[in-house]
Amino acid sequence: MSAIDNQMNRRRFLKRTFPVGAMLLAPQIVAPSVLGKGGGVAPSERVVLGGIGIGGRGSYVLGCFLQEPDVRFVAVAEVKAQRRQAVKQMADTRYGNTDCATYRDLRELLARNDIDAVLIATGPNWHAAASMLAARAGKDVYCEKPCAKTIMDSLALADTFRRTGRVFQAGTQRRSLPNFAYAVDLARRGRLGKLKTLHAHPAGLETKMSGWLPAETEPPKEEVDWDLYLGPAAWRPFNRRLLDGFNFEKGGGMVGGGCLEWGSHCVDLCQWANDADDTSPIEYERKGDRLHARYANGVELVVRNDGWLPLGSCPVRFEGETGWVETGDNGDLVASDDALLAGKGVRISGYPADFHVRNFLDCVKTRGQPRANAEVACWSHITCNAANIALFLDRKVQYDPKKNEFINDEEANRLRGEAWREPWQA
Amino acid sequence: MASLKQRTNPESTMPFHKTMKHHISRVAQLLSLAVFAASASALGPTRAATLDLDVPAAEREQKLIALIKSDAQPAEKALALKQLAICGTADAVPALAGFLGSEEFSTWARIALEVIPGPAPDEALRAALTTVQGRPLIGVISSIGVRRDLKAAYPLITKLRHPDAQVVSAAAIALGHIGGDSAARALEISLAETSGATRSAIAEGCILCAERWLAEGQAAKAMALYDTVRKADVPQRRVAEATRGAILARGSDGTALLLEQLRSPDKALYSIGLRAARELPGTQVTEALASAVKQLAPDRQWRVLLALADRHDAAVLPAVKAFAKDAPAELRVTALNVLEHVGDTSCIPLLIEAATVDDRAVAQAAKASLASLHTGNVDAELLRLLPQAAGKQRQVLVEAASARRIESAIPSVLRYATDADAGLRKAAFEALAALGGPKEMGAVVDLLKSATAQDRDALEQALLAISGRSGAAAAPTLMPLAGHSDPSLRAVGLHALAAVGGPEALAAVIKAVDDQEPSVQDDAVRTLSTWPNNWPDDNGVAEPLLALAKSGRKPMHQALGLRGYLQYLQGIKHIGNDEKLAKVRETMPLMKSSDQKQLAAAVLGAIPAPGAIDMLVGFAGDADTAEAACSALTALAVKDAPEFTKDQRRKALQIVLEKSKSDGTRKRAGEALKKIQ
Repeated sequence: MSAIDNQMNRRRFLKRTFPVGAMLLAPQIVAPSVLGKGGGVAPSERVVLGGIGIGGRGSYVLGCFLQEPDVRFVAVAEVKAQRRQAVKQMADTRYGNTDCATYRDLRELLARNDIDAVLIATGPNWHAAASMLAARAGKDVYCEKPCAKTIMDSLALADTFRRTGRVFQAGTQRRSLPNFAYAVDLARRGRLGKLKTLHAHPAGLETKMSGWLPAETEPPKEEVDWDLYLGPAAWRPFNRRLLDGFNFEKGGGMVGGGCLEWGSHCVDLCQWANDADDTSPIEYERKGDRLHARYANGVELVVRNDGWLPLGSCPVRFEGETGWVETGDNGDLVASDDALLAGKGVRISGYPADFHVRNFLDCVKTRGQPRANAEVACWSHITCNAANIALFLDRKVQYDPKKNEFINDEEANRLRGEAWREPWQA
Repeated sequence: MASLKQRTNPESTMPFHKTMKHHISRVAQLLSLAVFAASASALGPTRAATLDLDVPAAEREQKLIALIKSDAQPAEKALALKQLAICGTADAVPALAGFLGSEEFSTWARIALEVIPGPAPDEALRAALTTVQGRPLIGVISSIGVRRDLKAAYPLITKLRHPDAQVVSAAAIALGHIGGDSAARALEISLAETSGATRSAIAEGCILCAERWLAEGQAAKAMALYDTVRKADVPQRRVAEATRGAILARGSDGTALLLEQLRSPDKALYSIGLRAARELPGTQVTEALASAVKQLAPDRQWRVLLALADRHDAAVLPAVKAFAKDAPAELRVTALNVLEHVGDTSCIPLLIEAATVDDRAVAQAAKASLASLHTGNVDAELLRLLPQAAGKQRQVLVEAASARRIESAIPSVLRYATDADAGLRKAAFEALAALGGPKEMGAVVDLLKSATAQDRDALEQALLAISGRSGAAAAPTLMPLAGHSDPSLRAVGLHALAAVGGPEALAAVIKAVDDQEPSVQDDAVRTLSTWPNNWPDDNGVAEPLLALAKSGRKPMHQALGLRGYLQYLQGIKHIGNDEKLAKVRETMPLMKSSDQKQLAAAVLGAIPAPGAIDMLVGFAGDADTAEAACSALTALAVKDAPEFTKDQRRKALQIVLEKSKSDGTRKRAGEALKKIQ
C-alpha cells in the first residue's frame, strides 16, 4: 500500500467527509415562487428545450436536463437519422407520448418560437456556429466544449451573446463541482499564499485531427446530411470515418487539438483560480513536453501531462508561496497541509453535469450569468487556442489580451481565425 | 508530507500516468497538426517541405502557389490553399482568387485570403462580387465582412437588392461588420423598404453598425439607429437586442427605458431588461432600480433584485441590506441570500437578527449567508460577538462558528454547552463535533458523564466525531468512560474507542466482552465484529474474534465473532494464500447457517489456491450455498492465474455451468471456458 493509499483509509475518509462545511458553490438563488403548488412547475417557469446534434455525450447531458422538473424537451435537430430517432425515443419515453419533433436541419428547429433554449452537443466543428445561430434566433444555449476552435470564433461567441442578451453555458461542468470549486477558492482567497503556478492536464498536446479521406458514395441526405455535417468546415468529400463527430476537425483549424479539447476544462479551471476570467496569459512557450504560459500578474500556467497524483482524469494543481492543492475527477483533494482542506464540501466523483445544467436553467429564469458563461468560455478558449498556436509555431509568442492580437507577430496573428464555409457566417 | 510533496512535484521525473511522446520530429509534428494527418503517409517530399516552418516563407509560398496551380490531387491542393494563410503574400492572391467560385475549394482559399495583409486580397474579393455566383458568393461576402473592407461598402449595398435572400442577408451582416455612415444609411433605408425574410438580417446589420458606433464613442448616432430598429417591424428578438443597445447608448438617461422593459408584459423585452439592468452602469441607475423593485409584480421583484445584486457599485449593498431588513418574505429571502455574495462585516448584525425570526425561510437564508459571508474579517467579528451575545443570537453565532470552522470559538462553545437553553446546548454539541480535537475530548467526556438523556445522543455523536479525528493517541482519555459505572456510558466509551483505533483501544474493547453487564458485553462484541482491519496496528482483533466464534457466551456472540473473523480474513493482505486458506478451513466446523457459508465462499473466492476451489466445489453441492460458491468459483477460474492448471479451471467452470442458476454467472463461466478450450 502506497503512502497515498494509506492516507485514504477509512479513518481519514471519515475525518475528511464529516461534517460538510459551508457550501462553496452557492446555488443560483431562485425564489420559491418559480415552483407551482404541490411542487409542480408553473407553466410560466417551464423551460422549453430543443437539442442539436445529440450523440453519446449529448445523450448523457440531455438525460441531466430531462430529470429536471421544469424542463420540457420538444425537438431534436440531427443530421444522422439513427441519432434523430434515438433522441426522439429517449424523450418520448420520458414523457410517455410521441411528441418530440425531429429535424435534419438545425435552422428549422431554431425557427420555432416556442423553444426557449437549446442543448448543443454536435462535433466541436459546429459548436461556435450553432451557438451563435441559436443566440441570433433568440435561444439560450448550453453548448458542449470545446466551444470555439479559433481565437476569433471565441471572441465572436462572446460578442454575439453579449449583443443578443442570451444566456450561454459552456459544457465545462467542473466549474459546478465542489472539489474543483474548493481548490479554486483556496487559490483565489489567498490561502495558498501569493499564487505562483497553475498546472493543467490537457490529456495530450498534439492534435489528432481527421481530415480529407478518400471519397466514398455519399448516403441519402435523410440518412446523413453530409453538407450539414460539414457545416462551417471547409469542404471535403464524404467518408464514413469522418462521421465520428468527436474527432472531426477537433479543435479545428490549422492548429487546434489536444490542448483545446481538454484544456477547455482544466485550463479554464486555472483561469478561474487566477481570477482571470476576463483575460488570458500574455506569453506562451513550449518547453520540452510542456507548454508554459505567463499571465500579466506573473502567475505561470503549466500545461503538462506527467507527474500527477492519482486523482482521476482532468486534474489541476494550484501552487502558491505557502501551499498547494491538487484535485481531479475522482473528487478527492490533496493539499500541502490538511488544515487547508477543513470545511471542504461533499466529495462528488465522476464529473457529473447535473449541477451545471441546473445552474444554466436557473440563469435562463433570472437572466443572470452562468458559471461558464460566454465571456468566461471566450477567455479560456483564447488561452487554449493561443497555446496551440505557440505549440504549432514551436516558439515563444506574446499576446495582448486588450487588443486580442499577438505582439509583433504576423505569423501568429494569421492563425487567430479561419474562414467559415458558406452559407454559414460568423 | 515532505515525501508526498516530493513525489508530487511536477518537476519530478517519476511519472504517475503515461507520459507524452518525446522528441517528435519537427516535420512529423507539423504534419500531425495539419488537416491531412490521416493521409500523411501519402505525402511526397515537395509537400513535406511546404509544411516545414523552417523553410523560408517566400520559398514555401512559391512552392504552394505552384502546387495549387498544378494538377495535384484535390486533398493536396486544399492543404496548400490553407497553408498559404501562414506564408501567403500578394503574390499568392491571384492564384487563391481563382478558387473563389469553386463550391469545393472556395473556403480553403478564403482561409488564406481573410488573413493575408494588404490591399490585394480586398481587391480580389471585391472583384469576385461580380464574377462569383451561388453559394460561393455568400462566402466571398462573408470574407469581405471579416476583413472590414470599407471600399466594399458600395458594392455590398447593391447586393441588398439581390434576388437571393441569403445573399441579401449575408450582405447586411457584412455591412454591419464594416460599419460606418454609408453602410448604416443603406441598411436603414433597406429596413424601411424591404419586406420578408431578410428584414431580420438587415436589422441585425443595423444593430452591428450601432454597436460599433457605441464602442467608438458615437453614442448619439448609435442610439438613433438602435431606436430605428426597435420601432421597426422586425422579429421581436431583434427589437429586444436593439432595446438593449438603446438603453446602453443612453447612459444613465437610459434608466427610464430600462424600467419600462422591466414592467413590460412582453417576455423578450422583460428578459432583455433584466440583462441590461446588469450592464447599464451608475449608482443612480442602481438607486432607481432599487426604488422600482417594490412597484413590480411579486414574481419580478426578486429577479430584479438579483440583477441589481450583479451590479458593481457602491449603491448595491445599501439597497440589498434594506430589502434584507424589511421586505415581503420572498424578496427578503432573496436579499438575505444575495448578501452572501455582496455583503461584508457590516451585514453581520442584520443577518444575526434575521436568523432569529420565526419565519423559517428567512432564518435559514440568514444563517446560510452568515456561514458563507466572506468579505472583510468576518470570523474575527463573529468571535468578538460570540461571548457577549444574548438570547437566541447565541445559538445563531454558535452555528455560524461551526459552519465556518472557527476553532477559536471552542472556549465559548464549551461554555454554552452547559447552558439552560436546550437549543443552544444542541448547537454547541454540534459545533464541538465539527470543531473539536483531542484537546476537547476530555471536556466532552465530562459533559457526557453529567448529561441528561436528552443530550446524550448529540454528545455521543460529538465524541465519535472527535475520536475519528484524534487517532490512537487519544485512547487513554476515553478509558474513564469505558470503565464508568453507568453501563450505557461504558457502551459509548466502547464506540469512541473503536473510532480512535489502536492496540490500547482494542484491548479495552476485548476486556469489555467480559463486562458484568450483558448489554455492554453485546456492545463490545458488536464493536469487535466490525473492527476495522486495514490498520496494521489493529491486527490483534483476529484472535479474540476467533475465540468468540468458538466459545462466545451467547449464540449471537459466536455468530458475530465468526462473521467478524471471516471479514477480517477477507481484508487482510499480510498473510499468504495457504495460511489464509487454513484459517478459513479452521472455521468450517463453526458454521451453522448458510449466511456464514456464503460469506466463507466470498472469502475463498479471493484466495487463488487450488484448495479454495476444492472447498468451493463442496459448497456448490449445497443448494443454500451453491450460488455464492459458483460466483466465487467463477471469480477464481476466469483468470489465468499461475496457481491453477487449465484443468483445474476447466473443472471449476464446468461445475458452475452445472450448478448455477444465475444467467450472468453462467455466461461469464461459459465465455471463460471457451477461452480455455
